[in-house]
Amino acid sequence: MNDGNAFIRCSKLTKVYHKGDQEIVPLRDLDLEIERGSFVSLMGPSGSGKTTLLNLIAGIDSVTSGSLWIGDNNLAAMSRNQLAAWRAHEVGIIFQSYNLVPVLTAYENVELPLLLHSMTRRERAQRVEAALATVLLSDRADHFPRQLSGGQEQRVAIARAIVAEPPLLLADEPTGDLDRESATMVLDLLSELNRVHGRTIVMVTHDPAAAHRAQIALHLDKGQLLRATSAGGAH
Amino acid sequence: MKLLPFDYAIRNLGRSPKRLLLVIGGSALVCTLVLGSVAFSRGMETAMTASGLATNAFVVGSGSEESVERSEIPPSTGSILAASVDGLAMLAGQPAVSSEIHTAMPVSLVDAVSAEDAPPVLVRGFEPMAFAVHPQVRLREGRWPARGSDEVAAGPEALAKVPGSALGSHVAIAGVPFEIVGVFEAPGTVMHGEFWMRLDRLAQLTQRTTYSCVIAALGTAEIGDVDAFTSSRLDLESIAMTEHAYFAQLAEFFAPIRLLVLVTAILISSGGVLGGVNAMYAAFASRVREVGTLQALGFSRFAIAASLIVESTVACVSGSLVACVIGLALLDGVAIRFSMGSFGLAVDPSSLLAALLAGVLLGLLGAIPAIVRCLTLPIPSALRS
Repeated sequence: MNDGNAFIRCSKLTKVYHKGDQEIVPLRDLDLEIERGSFVSLMGPSGSGKTTLLNLIAGIDSVTSGSLWIGDNNLAAMSRNQLAAWRAHEVGIIFQSYNLVPVLTAYENVELPLLLHSMTRRERAQRVEAALATVLLSDRADHFPRQLSGGQEQRVAIARAIVAEPPLLLADEPTGDLDRESATMVLDLLSELNRVHGRTIVMVTHDPAAAHRAQIALHLDKGQLLRATSAGGAH
Repeated sequence: MKLLPFDYAIRNLGRSPKRLLLVIGGSALVCTLVLGSVAFSRGMETAMTASGLATNAFVVGSGSEESVERSEIPPSTGSILAASVDGLAMLAGQPAVSSEIHTAMPVSLVDAVSAEDAPPVLVRGFEPMAFAVHPQVRLREGRWPARGSDEVAAGPEALAKVPGSALGSHVAIAGVPFEIVGVFEAPGTVMHGEFWMRLDRLAQLTQRTTYSCVIAALGTAEIGDVDAFTSSRLDLESIAMTEHAYFAQLAEFFAPIRLLVLVTAILISSGGVLGGVNAMYAAFASRVREVGTLQALGFSRFAIAASLIVESTVACVSGSLVACVIGLALLDGVAIRFSMGSFGLAVDPSSLLAALLAGVLLGLLGAIPAIVRCLTLPIPSALRS
């Protein structure tokens, strides 16, 4: 990690949940920096805090203490509405279960994030077509999620994540529900988005093969960074 | 504020056709009840308004301003009024002044098995001058009853109150058989549901030595002139108002009944409301993760809530439209009969609007519990659900 080009900066980052009387601390005093344009995987056993860290970076969960900067934005100081607006422009999220809206076609699902931007219908159409072409699904634009395979659904989800051209892509077990062939295709896509389009990617995974596609693997355990290893993914 | 596309809300309605039908059915039930109660209220109001003319003076006994059936005035009141007030309308050289008796009496077919259960129907004693002050009344069939005879004429709704009665049949009024010799109509007024017999015969039948009221067509006279007359003739113990004012007071008198009908409709429909809300809640609760995803994409809670409200409102307003169709097809004009006459349910723009508003309100209220459920969950929890 390069201090001079840090895109994501966590300092003493702590997250505390309360479950009844029980206090759960999935992240404790985490210090971390991730440079712009890198492809990082978060690894660790269940309960290690990797998904919590991803949620905090995505701005969909609130920081209990410490600071979390993404570029020039201090997420810990932003309101819920500010975070929503920030997510719309700065982050693309890819979920393990794809989370496509079943009543919308592939095209409409990909178009969703663009509705949060000031764009004409024509501009949106150009972006959506380009995104679907990137994931090789131009011919499935009119299909509903139920008419797509799991791999195709995940590629639509990736198209949805990249269509607004956010600088940061977050993926939570993106290959967890896929067969090997589809998983390879998805990982190829992510690598290409990082390598060719310069997206910063943070990916939670249990799969060592998936983690190997990243440049750096961050190993978390009990809410703390255990070690960072070079994973072998190529620039 | 960027909102979700309208299409999204509409397409969501098709996710579970059974649930959608349940919501539309519940909403239709509620809206039909609301529409029916408003139609009842409007029908009564309209009948009261149409029954009383502003150009007629209505003279009743003091203290009987709210019920002409309780009123008693001397039989000479009409002739004294006609001689005392200048400018009254004239018919065939006579002042248009009609003395009348109004009384509710049990009426049944002569050969009815249980005459005791006969419904009370308003019977009006009249003289020919009544037609000068009640221009709404038209003879449809037969003829008017002759003086001193055991004959009556009936309005269509009066016939409906006495099953089996028709022109030429005999009805028992206070145990005395009367032949129905004519059928008249006075659409939209309380007279549409009355039996009319000659004044002298009704006075004899009821053993009355007093009349109920005197109605005079004002012509160039003003109500103040008639009022001055009743104020100066203290011996007559009467007061004057326009016929329109009398029926307006009567409408006011029945306001609690109209309110009661509305409240009852709302109470009955609360079951439908709960059913609709429950179905809507279930529909939204199954989409918690989707709502979490939309939030994760950057849609605000307001935008998502607005979409859920649109979805709920469209479903419930569909129920309203069903209710409007039911109202227009089945309820409009349905006769409500009561002792002092009858009126028809009025499915007019007001009652249709009330049904539509009820649907909108139901949609808004129905969405609230589901919105609270979906949007108060932290996004990570919603995504895990």
